[in-house]
Amino acid sequence: MENILSILVFFPAVAGLLGFVVTKESIRAYGIAVTLVVFLLTLWLWFSFDMNNPGIQFVEMIPLIPDFGISYYLGADGISLFIIVMTALMTLIGMASMGETKNIKNMIISLLFLEMTMIGVFVALDAIIFYLFWELSLVPMLYIIGAWGGPLRVYASIKFFLYTFTGSLLMLVGMLFMAYIYHNLTGVWSFAVTDWYALVLPVDYQIWLFAAFFIGFAIKVPMFPFHTWIPYAHGQAPTIGSVILAAILLKMGTYGFVRFSLPLFPDASVMAITPIAVLSLIMVVYTAMIAYAQKDMKQVIAYSSVSHMGIIMLGLFAMNAEGLGGSIFQMLSHGIVSGALFMLVGMIYDRRHTKLLSEFGGLASVMPKFAIIFGVMLMASVGLPLTIGFVGEFLVLLGFYKVSPMITIIAGTSIILGAVYMLRVMKLAFFGPLNNEANQKLKDLNARETWSLVPLVAIVIWLGVYPKPVLEPINNSVNALLAFMDEKAITKEAKDMIHVSNSFESGRPTLSIAGGK
Amino acid sequence: MENLVYIALFAPFAGSLFASLFGMKEREIFVGVVASILIFISFLASALLAANLYMTGEVIHVRMMDWIAVGDFNVGFGFVVDHISVTMMSVVTLVSTVVHIYAIGYMDHDRSFNRFFSYLSAFVFSMMILVMSDNFLGLFIGWEGVGVCSWLLVGFWYHKEDKPKEENPSISPSWAANEAFIMNRIADLGMLIGIFILYWNTGSLRYDEVFAQLPYLSETVLAGAAIALFIGAMGKSAQFPLHTWLTDAMEGPTPVSALIHAATMVTAGVFLVVRSNPLYAMPEVSGVSMFIASLGTFVAFYAASMALVERDLKRIIAYSTLSQLGYMFAAAGLGAYWIALFHLAAHAFFKALLFLGGGNVMHAMNDELDLFKMGNLKKEMRATWLYMGFASIALAGLPPLAGFWSKDAIIETAFNEQTYILWFMLVVTAGMTAFYSFRQVFLSFHGEDRHTPLGFHPHEMYTFALVAMFPLAVLALITGWFMSAYKVFIYHIGESVQYEMSEHTHHLAIYLGLLVIFIVLASIAYAYMKYARTGDKAWKRDEAKEQGFFYKLLKNQYYVPKFYEEFITKPYSMISEKFWTGVDLKIVDATVDNIAKFFYTTGDKTRSMQTGNLSNYLNWMAVGGVILLAVAAVSAIFM
Repeated sequence: MENILSILVFFPAVAGLLGFVVTKESIRAYGIAVTLVVFLLTLWLWFSFDMNNPGIQFVEMIPLIPDFGISYYLGADGISLFIIVMTALMTLIGMASMGETKNIKNMIISLLFLEMTMIGVFVALDAIIFYLFWELSLVPMLYIIGAWGGPLRVYASIKFFLYTFTGSLLMLVGMLFMAYIYHNLTGVWSFAVTDWYALVLPVDYQIWLFAAFFIGFAIKVPMFPFHTWIPYAHGQAPTIGSVILAAILLKMGTYGFVRFSLPLFPDASVMAITPIAVLSLIMVVYTAMIAYAQKDMKQVIAYSSVSHMGIIMLGLFAMNAEGLGGSIFQMLSHGIVSGALFMLVGMIYDRRHTKLLSEFGGLASVMPKFAIIFGVMLMASVGLPLTIGFVGEFLVLLGFYKVSPMITIIAGTSIILGAVYMLRVMKLAFFGPLNNEANQKLKDLNARETWSLVPLVAIVIWLGVYPKPVLEPINNSVNALLAFMDEKAITKEAKDMIHVSNSFESGRPTLSIAGGK
Repeated sequence: MENLVYIALFAPFAGSLFASLFGMKEREIFVGVVASILIFISFLASALLAANLYMTGEVIHVRMMDWIAVGDFNVGFGFVVDHISVTMMSVVTLVSTVVHIYAIGYMDHDRSFNRFFSYLSAFVFSMMILVMSDNFLGLFIGWEGVGVCSWLLVGFWYHKEDKPKEENPSISPSWAANEAFIMNRIADLGMLIGIFILYWNTGSLRYDEVFAQLPYLSETVLAGAAIALFIGAMGKSAQFPLHTWLTDAMEGPTPVSALIHAATMVTAGVFLVVRSNPLYAMPEVSGVSMFIASLGTFVAFYAASMALVERDLKRIIAYSTLSQLGYMFAAAGLGAYWIALFHLAAHAFFKALLFLGGGNVMHAMNDELDLFKMGNLKKEMRATWLYMGFASIALAGLPPLAGFWSKDAIIETAFNEQTYILWFMLVVTAGMTAFYSFRQVFLSFHGEDRHTPLGFHPHEMYTFALVAMFPLAVLALITGWFMSAYKVFIYHIGESVQYEMSEHTHHLAIYLGLLVIFIVLASIAYAYMKYARTGDKAWKRDEAKEQGFFYKLLKNQYYVPKFYEEFITKPYSMISEKFWTGVDLKIVDATVDNIAKFFYTTGDKTRSMQTGNLSNYLNWMAVGGVILLAVAAVSAIFM
């Protein structure tokens, strides 16, 4: 299976097209079967992945427009591998747990197309192909929010679309300029990211290009102050929309930083550490506080998502293996945990048709299974050791401590503020007396709901206790990336920064850089 | 021997998993029995390990598996059984066994009986990780694990509703649980920072590797690590100003208070300082150590003062725990680490006994905790009276009971270090301790019968629960006799735990001890005169006195909880609300919408140009042409 990546991308799309001829009754089983196959294929990808090779594997390259250097160019490394696996997993589980019945056929087909675009983004190594999938992913999501959403769905979906679209246009300008520079320097056109990696750009070019890419990625992440589309999107989206959005779509932004910004613009990246750290801090603290003020359960999770993405952003710019590796691990962790939390909120919404915290209270006594799973996810979300949430958050903070102790201490308040808003939800919704009559006859999770959540609980604990199978390939690729950045950086400041953040206080350089590429 | 390590560690975990299988089912006594047996097995394993260590002096190190490895960071699940950890293991599993057995009786009417045991055993497992780990991050796993178990157990009766603070100072179990968790998290951040500092300066988190590097570290680094780790310790061990959660945690079932909030978890902070003794013993951080000792002494005094006026039985015991933790920190801060550890062990035994006695009283009084509604309970509850009286003597520190030896050694240390102010405060606190402990004993068990008129019909606890408490009573008696033997044992760990009194102190020790005993006896006698008598001289509630300034100050815990509410909780909610409605919606989001609106309205306005009329279009074209010419002219001039 040499072209496994192409299969991963196009199988869901072809299956989605065929879905139009499947009957309404069996479409659900059909969708689950397709996503299950995709998931199994991603597992196969994982097992046939060479863990010791930090480079890009499963490469496929077919020139499309040779005159402009545009080619169909796919590949995966230790960084994208697990995001791909998670994408397939969360699509599968999100679909399996879905309580939606209205227009189910269109929903399933949209999801299959969405899966194609998401996997496409994470495997694309040609900027144009990347951009194509990036933009295409907006369409099914626009439809999902706009057709199945709440009362404000049209406003929310258009805001989501226009906001992210505007950002990605700037990114496109950046890409075109990048290719233009490549052409000027080498005489040929190329949009292959790996070709671009070889370019050593002057610092002022780097800064402008970094800024262009930054806008595109930052809106997607979403970074403060570009985050305001997300409460609307989550507030109006159906459960499955929120699950996919939080678990995967947001990761496209942070993944973009790893794939483009860091290796292409090492000097600009180092210069951007402080501004990005400041924005990340605002994300961590400010949105955590806003999450605390929410009256709607789903909005708490939505804002908490932004807060956690702040930690991920911080880690990306720690310039050491601890921070960067932790950040990538945290992307997976956040995908699983926030996805599960949105599913849980959706399940209670299906029963009561409200998400207002004031409507609940004492649910633990009528829905014990629900409360337990919520509790586990809560603990993972606040970063309890031996859950998946701890590993990434800890590594990010550890890594960034080397860059700036002060910023790390402020970012570390995330472990306090996270507990504050999550425990408030737990107390208001699950604890206290069961006063509201509407809640007294609530049914606990049914088999479908339970079995879609149990795998996530298992993963949360498994990767919390034994993250090695995932961390190891990430570590290899991250070390290679850092060694590459170190080699490529042209300013002394950037080189020093990378050296300092990768060495112990005594000045002894760490193995990762010394023994790197 | 390695197997014993794993048995000691994982037997409680097995118990927890077993109990959780029945978590949602009806009460099953055997769940409690199995969990208790498994904890007992863990105790046996710990005792064997202790015996082995005593005989052979061989420290056992095991590495189970890798955990987190990225870059140069590599931490695994490793465990060490040395003199410090084996002390903690034995104490923890012993008290846990007693509390487990006791809880079978105490919780027998609770519908969530099985769930209770799954949490309680999970707590023991976390605590074992905490004390057995061979590195700081492993300790942190246990540290957070006990925090979660404490959260689950304090909030065990989650269905109770919030009450106003005047009615119930701890509002509700779920509120108290959240308070405990969040306040501990604040401290945990400090601990994490300490871990970061140690990692980036030593390249490791293993105790032995970190401690071996200490001499090469700068003063700032050492002080930073010492302070950060101590902030962590302050949270778990409820030192001022992070102390308010401990008294509120009394909302949990009493066996929980006995095990977690008296004997084991709250001593984790002391354990951390003792475990890191090579760090705290560095001359560069003597300032930090002195601060620890001073804070400990202050908390000892401060908590004891609040206990003087408290009416709630469990809260009094909670204050006494706080106060005793202060003693332990005083010893640790002054460099007498082994004395702190010894007091920790002795305290675990008699405090658990005291708490379980308090549990008997609660059980008898239908969960009533107000001492003013009790009186003369010894008539109905003789065994409990004996246990609690005995434990109170141990707590007050009278020979030959455990509390005397360990506490006296701490007071002596303060004298030996010539920190006479600390010494004086610790002596005064010893007197206060004696007074409030016996005030509580006399108000509940002696004096006039105040409970019968209120309709209470107390009954003694189940016999098996009383029998289960017996080992604690024995230990509360004899632990102190082994102090010098323990000293020989723990001295093997290294130079930094060794602490000897000077010749001068040695000569004066007997007089100092007698002085303390005299003060303690006088306090007990005063409490007796005031609260224990019957008839004409019986104690009467003095409402006027309760309005006095000092009484109110103490009763309201120096208004610290009030301060937190007014200056932290409320402003936090208010600012959060403002950030959301005032900033995020009105400024950040409105800006985005306005930009979009600007394009929309300009588009809408300029649409009027599209009249479809050719002459209009020609006019606009002319305007455009003029503008373009103007631009060209201007740029030609200036470029």
